[in-house]
Amino acid sequence: MADIRLSAAPVLGADIAIGDNRIVERDDLALVSVATPQGGDDAIAAALQSGFGLPVPGPVQSSGQGDMRAVRTTADQMMLIFPHATPDAEPHVRQALSGAGYTTDQTDVWMVLEISGPDTLAALERLCPLDVAGFADGAAARTVMEHMGALILRLGPDRFWLMSASSSAGSFCHAVELSYRNVA
Amino acid sequence: MTQPNRLPSGLTDRSRMLNFTWNGRALQGHPGDTLAAALLANGERFVARSFKYHRPRGVFSAGPEEPSALVQLRNGAAQEPNTRATVAELFDGLVATSQNHRGSLEGDLLALNDWLAPFLSAGFYYKTFMWPKRFWETVYEPFIRASAGLGRLSMEPDPDHYDHGYLHCDLLVIGAGPAGLTAALEAGRAGARVILADEDFLPGGRLNAETHEVGGMAGSGWAAQAVAELAAMDNVRLMTRTTVYGAFDHGIYGALERATDHLAGSGGKPRQVLWRLYTRRALLTAGATERSVAFRNNDRPGVMLAGAVRTYVNRFGVAPGQRVAVLTNNDDGWRTATDLQAAGIHVSALIDTRAGTPDIPGLRIETNAAVRRTRGRRGIGQITLTNGAVIDADCLAVAGGWSPNLHLTCHQRGRPEWRDDLAAFVPGRDLPPGMSVAGAANGALTLHAAMKEAQEKTVTLLQEMGFEPTGAVLPKASDEPASITPFWHVKGKGRAWVDLQNDVTAKDIYQSQREAFRSVELLKRYTTLGMATDQGKTANVLGLAILAEAAGQPIPDTGTTIFRPPYTPVPIGAFAGRARGKDFRPVRLTPSHKWAQEQGATFVETGMWMRAQWFARPGEKGWRDSVDREVQMTRKSVGICDVTTLGKIDIQGRDAAEFLNRVYANGFAKLPVGKVRYGIMLREDGICYDDGTTARLTETHFVMTTTTANAVVVFRNLEFARQCLWPDLDVHLISTTDGWAQFAVAGPNSRALLSKVVDDLDLSNEAFPFMACSECTVFGGTPARLFRISFSGELAYEIAVPARFGDSMIRALMEVGREFDAVPYGTEALGVMRIEKGHFAGNELTGQTTAAMLGIGMMVSSKKDSIGATLSRREEMSRDDDLRLVGFHPVDKSSELNAGAHFLTRGDPADMAHDQGWMTSVAWSPELGHSIGMGFLKRGKERMGETVRAYDPVRGKDTLVTVTSAHHIDPEGARQRG
Repeated sequence: MADIRLSAAPVLGADIAIGDNRIVERDDLALVSVATPQGGDDAIAAALQSGFGLPVPGPVQSSGQGDMRAVRTTADQMMLIFPHATPDAEPHVRQALSGAGYTTDQTDVWMVLEISGPDTLAALERLCPLDVAGFADGAAARTVMEHMGALILRLGPDRFWLMSASSSAGSFCHAVELSYRNVA
Repeated sequence: MTQPNRLPSGLTDRSRMLNFTWNGRALQGHPGDTLAAALLANGERFVARSFKYHRPRGVFSAGPEEPSALVQLRNGAAQEPNTRATVAELFDGLVATSQNHRGSLEGDLLALNDWLAPFLSAGFYYKTFMWPKRFWETVYEPFIRASAGLGRLSMEPDPDHYDHGYLHCDLLVIGAGPAGLTAALEAGRAGARVILADEDFLPGGRLNAETHEVGGMAGSGWAAQAVAELAAMDNVRLMTRTTVYGAFDHGIYGALERATDHLAGSGGKPRQVLWRLYTRRALLTAGATERSVAFRNNDRPGVMLAGAVRTYVNRFGVAPGQRVAVLTNNDDGWRTATDLQAAGIHVSALIDTRAGTPDIPGLRIETNAAVRRTRGRRGIGQITLTNGAVIDADCLAVAGGWSPNLHLTCHQRGRPEWRDDLAAFVPGRDLPPGMSVAGAANGALTLHAAMKEAQEKTVTLLQEMGFEPTGAVLPKASDEPASITPFWHVKGKGRAWVDLQNDVTAKDIYQSQREAFRSVELLKRYTTLGMATDQGKTANVLGLAILAEAAGQPIPDTGTTIFRPPYTPVPIGAFAGRARGKDFRPVRLTPSHKWAQEQGATFVETGMWMRAQWFARPGEKGWRDSVDREVQMTRKSVGICDVTTLGKIDIQGRDAAEFLNRVYANGFAKLPVGKVRYGIMLREDGICYDDGTTARLTETHFVMTTTTANAVVVFRNLEFARQCLWPDLDVHLISTTDGWAQFAVAGPNSRALLSKVVDDLDLSNEAFPFMACSECTVFGGTPARLFRISFSGELAYEIAVPARFGDSMIRALMEVGREFDAVPYGTEALGVMRIEKGHFAGNELTGQTTAAMLGIGMMVSSKKDSIGATLSRREEMSRDDDLRLVGFHPVDKSSELNAGAHFLTRGDPADMAHDQGWMTSVAWSPELGHSIGMGFLKRGKERMGETVRAYDPVRGKDTLVTVTSAHHIDPEGARQRG
């Protein structure tokens, strides 16, 4: 066995300031999808509550407990997002839910950008077709931005997570940055 | 330096001067001017040449309807032709030039066309350029192209940026005139989210152009006050310089915001923004457009719409002439005369086509009269009336009546209706869902009526949406006299102009009617009436009226024209937005991309992915050298290829195995845990559309691999099957394509290499045979997945690690591989090896390919049902004499093959009737030392060893090839199983 260890790298390592706005890649977050087995809604709800103290989020919503968030992505699927450094987020969730749902590690599928600052809503007008100004804190939705599939979650008045595919992260981050530059 | 026609009144900022140039001459204007206003202030009446006859033209209107004063703005790469001077906002440093002339504006050589006019009437092209046929492309088209067009493009890339955006509101108010401001105030005060959009830079519409009073103050002052109140509301977004150009489905409107067109430079920001407006309701308060009257030489510089004359006097403080005559068929003409008098401008005469006009002190009034003709080629100097009177005038204000701006009501095929009392079309009943119309746009042509209707309609819309109207009292405003008696056309000698932009005359319309182009749609195509940038805003109704006159029937019986988006021109750049150059579409990169760049890889686009195509090494003279080396080294020892781009779909559920059994044509129900199976997928019509492998990780957990190209299609089809075909199955899908960095490790030393990579997994053939799979760890603990599959025909594996380790993984694999002389290989080497091995790929899966054609008809299981299985058994799809996939090599092994060549039986003529199939893929085989190919050949399986022609008329080649098995190397598969 060669004496080699693999090292993890962020997708982009983005940390961009545009005026008082910032675009930061949250490479400390893990994402695990949880699909609800047919007829397993009650079991999922119970497991989510006992495992993480989280209620099942409603459509176009997320629920939060501590630094863990559950984001509803479709009728029978949600995404758990939480800080987790090692590449074992999926077994961690699977065990905590005692197998109540079908779990898939999605950490490396996505890049999470945390965007914030006074021009954030104006920048999103150039990027996101959804009415995010009408989003309450914690609201989340799947959408498309600049032809790329995306998941958007509102954290606060001018703070959002934007998630998109890691392979096209460069294009996505460029689109976000350009949106800020066009309005800031 | 002086502005001879500038008046002391108006709404422009006289404290500041703006310098601009017109055809190279330095002129001045003020903030708040349009280019047209500034040109008129400087006494420039003759500003353009007309499209077809190159006649002198001046400013005709004061708005977006302008047919004549089309100019070029800016210079160099930023030069923009065909811009309406009437909406171009003046800024310091503006460079403007006239267009559509050879030589100077005044001495245009093509003015000759005007003298040839008798030969150039409607239908001229169709009748003239018929013969000889060979002149069509060689003489006529180049000649017409050279003559056509107005302005000139810079022929340089557009230096500006454009953007797109999305906005949402309860109520979109389109137009910020008196009706729009009233509506926005009502809705804003009620708490609705309002967008108020206006194409002008100064909201207020006709309030800024007329001398009306609202609420006891000047109309323009009330408008400014209303705008200030709206600007202070958080729930109202006032968008000036923004044209709502189209009404689309589901309450979506398109709008173009000219963000920096009024500035000398854009400062790096988007010049224009194309907005998509999502609305619950929309109120169209777009006002009305005035139209002219047709009489001889009514197109000369100095002939203007009367409302535009009032706009220049009242808003811009510009006298359009020193001796102004007014021609009217309605009460607007009187107001024009009195406004001019109030501004101290001499009114030569008021000519009313009606009887019984009231006396206006100090004014010469001619009733029951019209203008027969004008005189003065480069600008009128005199007019002759139908009663014979001759009057001096350097400007003629024509008030022909108003046409409601109902364009957006037609964008979903709504048809306007005729109202005799207005002599105009008004919006019909079939409005786009969610749209209402108020004010002049709906035929409420007077001030109080417009505001009252706007308020009433807004209250209704607010109530529909659940808002409580405030019940505010409308400010006091009066209804001005607005009676009209239609008058369209002064018949007589000479040309009476209807569509100034396209040089269509009343005579052309009569001719169209005579030659049986009587439908208004045919009239448009035959005469070009209503085409081009203004889309007939001033011409359509007049043209229709004259068509009706020619046909001897009422206007509503003659037809209506309806409108399509856009309302006014939208630059292509704005539609493109950011999508240009490298931003045209997203780019997907593999986790080893950076490493591959460092290795000097050449990349190829596969869909949106960038994949390493080959890795050139010093001394290699071309790509073939690199590819040959990569193939030889892989087959000799070991090669590594990033295959991350293959689609990966995580499939879980109690019924996942049953689900796979239904979507794959071959059996999957009994695939053991820890095994991979190759599968093919059929479309519902039985055509084979994708292939790949699926691994079973646990009883309820599978990982499917698709081709790179079909990753999205397969996922979509699976999701459809899951949700719509078999909702009773417990099966769940999620894409993990981007989540895993996956590498093919192929070649006789692949096992030896991976033994140094994988932790604690027995890779012996017994413990981990061909088509085995396992979750494992690598390099001391990093989670991984290992699959023993081969696309090259060699002993091969695919190893996957979470993508965050991908860059580290490829470097580690190459480091460990050094002792085996491991090479990275790209998609070209991958392609060569799969052709040598006889694996089909995208070239073969054409969308017309059956499993039988591919030689894998037996894989379509008859023991179960699966998507496409039934239709794949149709007689014509399983004929024995159909195309079959076979291999080829040239008889003369020194010659090269070409994909795309068609096969012919020796001795047959080269025509489609004797076509025997075609070559799908070819490669130079380093292993065999000659070209090889695969392709579809009729009855191919029975023709092994036969020599056929590979005929390639495109490249002029005709090569004799020998038919072989598609499996050029190791047909028994000993290597991959070893």
